[in-house]
Amino acid sequence: MSDAIRRQFHAQLVEVKSEIVHLGALAMETIPRATAALLNGDLKAAQSLIDDDDIIDVKSIAIEDACMRLFALQQPMAGDLRSLMTAIKLNWDIERSADLSVNIGKAVRRIYGVELPPSVRGVVEQMSAEAYRLTRLAIDAYMDLDLSIAAALDDMDDRLDSLQADLMRTIFDAHETHGLGLQPAVQLALIGRYYERIGDHAVNIGERTQYLVTGWLPEHTGAARADARARHAADAQADGATWS
Amino acid sequence: MELILIAIVALAAVLAFACVLARTRVKNRLISLAAALGEEPPGSASVSDLLSLVERSAERVRRHDSEVERQQQRFALALSAMTQGAVLCDEFGSTVMHNAFARTFTEARHGNAIVRAAIDDMLGRACNGEHDQREIELFGPPPRLLFVTAQPLLDGDEHLGALATVDDITDQQRIESIRRDFVANISHELRTPIGAVALLAETLVDEVDPLVVRRLSIRLRDESFRVSHMIDDLLALSQIEGDGVTESERIRVAHLVGEAVDRIRPAAEQAGVSIKVADFSEGLALRGDRRQLVSALFNLLENAVKYSDAGSIIEIRAAGDDDEVSMVVQDHGIGIPAKDLDRIFERFYRVDQARSRETGGTGLGLSIVRHVARNHGGSITVSSREGEGSTFMLMLPTGLEAPARAEVK
Repeated sequence: MSDAIRRQFHAQLVEVKSEIVHLGALAMETIPRATAALLNGDLKAAQSLIDDDDIIDVKSIAIEDACMRLFALQQPMAGDLRSLMTAIKLNWDIERSADLSVNIGKAVRRIYGVELPPSVRGVVEQMSAEAYRLTRLAIDAYMDLDLSIAAALDDMDDRLDSLQADLMRTIFDAHETHGLGLQPAVQLALIGRYYERIGDHAVNIGERTQYLVTGWLPEHTGAARADARARHAADAQADGATWS
Repeated sequence: MELILIAIVALAAVLAFACVLARTRVKNRLISLAAALGEEPPGSASVSDLLSLVERSAERVRRHDSEVERQQQRFALALSAMTQGAVLCDEFGSTVMHNAFARTFTEARHGNAIVRAAIDDMLGRACNGEHDQREIELFGPPPRLLFVTAQPLLDGDEHLGALATVDDITDQQRIESIRRDFVANISHELRTPIGAVALLAETLVDEVDPLVVRRLSIRLRDESFRVSHMIDDLLALSQIEGDGVTESERIRVAHLVGEAVDRIRPAAEQAGVSIKVADFSEGLALRGDRRQLVSALFNLLENAVKYSDAGSIIEIRAAGDDDEVSMVVQDHGIGIPAKDLDRIFERFYRVDQARSRETGGTGLGLSIVRHVARNHGGSITVSSREGEGSTFMLMLPTGLEAPARAEVK
């Protein structure tokens, strides 16, 4: 009897994972979609992207509910517990990524009619491809429980960061040479930030995947340091007390 | 003694009775077995008759089973051979069979996971008797367009399951849009200058001020040049498309490059763009139609000049061996958006309608280049990034026979 329940529980965990992968796919699609809307100045595409975010929200809520039900009914432990926690965290990261694409969609409306200089378009296109690639790799790492990819995402994200710096430089250039206005310049800088944040969420997914497999998070190193400092301070205080 | 005898007789009688009873029971079971196998044994049949009947029947069933199995295999193979994806499910919605193409969507991730979710959803509905069809656009990369249908499988009123099909209609749609854009573009390209000519001429009729007449005439002349330039290009293209390579001769790459560069130089100087020819082996040569090849190189250079800002440099390089020659034209101009890269070789395709008309192009240059490359059994490829420039590479087989090669060396 209990064996059957366990089997069913594991089937439900697999189901949650495949729902996360589906959510990831939906969120990933929004990246090239947002970029196309931006580069083509396509308001209709931007609007449909913004509207379709509701589908992603519905899905994300459904995943969270499913996870909560499993927590309450199964009280999972060890690997199962981590796998559910990871699903909840990933759900949030992925949903947030899609929101960032929506932000790009909204920016399309704000800069409508402004002709983007080719150099800016080029960097935007690269940022989009890079954000897409990182997200795709993150989902791959989660699906295959591939620790090496999960760990490499943090380094790969450097490229997106340096592209963001490139974008800022190109925006300044475009302001000088093409007379790019302040309003679109600010919007473009924000757009760069949105792509960069999508990359950060991909890195988070990688870290959570590492946690799922090993139970260790990069943040744990920092936590250990803080702990050591606190202990050191307490010791010093104790020493001081004896000296005075 | 007698008692023992009676006991033995009684035992024998009981045994005999039991024997007959058992035999009758076996016979009855054999009769019902034969009936279950679809046979109708005569009432008079003996046990051994019945046994052989059942044996024959079992053999027939076995043969039938293997035939059914083969038939099923045949269906599965036929399903697999289809270019369409097909998923078959039973009345409870669980998958019974799917073919090779549909299998890419099971346990799928990324874009395919979206398709999988749609198939599952639609099959679920189809099991309740709903017909459904959807177009799923995946932004990729690469972008794809899939057409998914689902329909219930009904035997009278009884639900037997549902069938979903998946079609990749990306290419179909691409060809459709090429055709659509071609018709729209060619009418636009021809109408714009002709409309201008008509308008200018109309204004000219009543004009008396000689200065205005002069200005209008100049514009009239420019617009007619434009039309005739386009018609020339169209004719050149149709000739290149139609004839293939008519005059084939051995040509030094250095001559080709020199001729093309000489032709573009005035335009380049006017635009303030400098052209740098990289050093390459003097012996480099190929067999082909000189006019076509020069025109291909010229078109590449012309584009590079048009889309470069004043002060920038265009590089032209060549390399190769006995089998193949590659010629590269690289500019540092505005570049080409990624979404247009696949389409720029189409006739009349323009990345930016407004800008390219300003530059006076006909929208045919790159399709001419592609046709020249094809005629010579070669290819043209492009890599580009907006804001950084474009690099076109023309790869051509030298088409030289061994003795000719020796001659070149």
